[in-house]
Amino acid sequence: MGILRKMRAIFHDDWCSQCQATMEEKNRKLYMLPMMVGHYTSHKQADYYKQNLIRVNKKADIPTGNYACGMIAYTCPNCGHTAVKLSIFLPVREQEKFEEAFLFENGEMDSFLRE
Amino acid sequence: MEEVKVKKINVVYLLSYIFVPILVCAICFWLSAEFFPKGNMAVVLLMGPSIISILWWIFGGRTIYKQRQKKLEKELNETGFERNHTFYGDGCTVVVDVTHGKIAMAFFWNPFQNFILPASRITKTWVDDGKSGIGIMEGSGRVSFLFNVDNVKIRVNTFTSNTRWRMDSEYILTGISKADMMVNVLEEARSKGK
Repeated sequence: MGILRKMRAIFHDDWCSQCQATMEEKNRKLYMLPMMVGHYTSHKQADYYKQNLIRVNKKADIPTGNYACGMIAYTCPNCGHTAVKLSIFLPVREQEKFEEAFLFENGEMDSFLRE
Repeated sequence: MEEVKVKKINVVYLLSYIFVPILVCAICFWLSAEFFPKGNMAVVLLMGPSIISILWWIFGGRTIYKQRQKKLEKELNETGFERNHTFYGDGCTVVVDVTHGKIAMAFFWNPFQNFILPASRITKTWVDDGKSGIGIMEGSGRVSFLFNVDNVKIRVNTFTSNTRWRMDSEYILTGISKADMMVNVLEEARSKGK
């Protein structure tokens, strides 16, 4: 993951790419990824996540050694632009090992969110 | 299924691994000194065994260990052992069949004997995160999961380093995650094996 993308993922993913206003968080969900520690493979396509994410209520529901995915849906109050941020991480006891983050701004995850 | 006691080290193999090349070198050096003090034969007798010994110490053990790992896997497949989880440690390979409550092991220093046994023979499992030091010096250079079988303690490293890493570093966290996962898997197999 490029350093610029990493910084953006950490700091400014809630900025609207159209009008630069701060977007509102509409939805926040936690999922489990069917990938075990030591076998992580990066997937950039939204389709992979739509097919493989498994909804969980809390981190404790994720089996030890499995990757987790936090999803945040944003909407811009000014222009109505939407974005979905996926953060992939490995829950380790009380800590999280951040793997990478993806921002989908073209409605790739909309159908998944409606389910 | 073998009911023999788990043995991590084959002393004969360990001693042979170390001392047989030394013995061969010594014999060659003696032959060279006694019968071929000069010439090509002297070079062959002095250099050949030394180079072969070094190559043996570097690659010999690993090659044998890897071959035995493959043999163990083949043996497990033939006996209907479900390989749900396999952990390839540097000194020990652990394969767990959670469904039937069994474990299989191959050891680096006992490569000619594989162990397949009921997981119920495991008496204790735990994780050692290797944490030491205080404050900013707190860290670890080794994370492992351990378990006791027939009162033999088996340690399998999930992370090793010659430097100390912070406890929140990605290497340590990954090592802890792997170790936690293997302990859970072993406990699950143990409960099934009872």
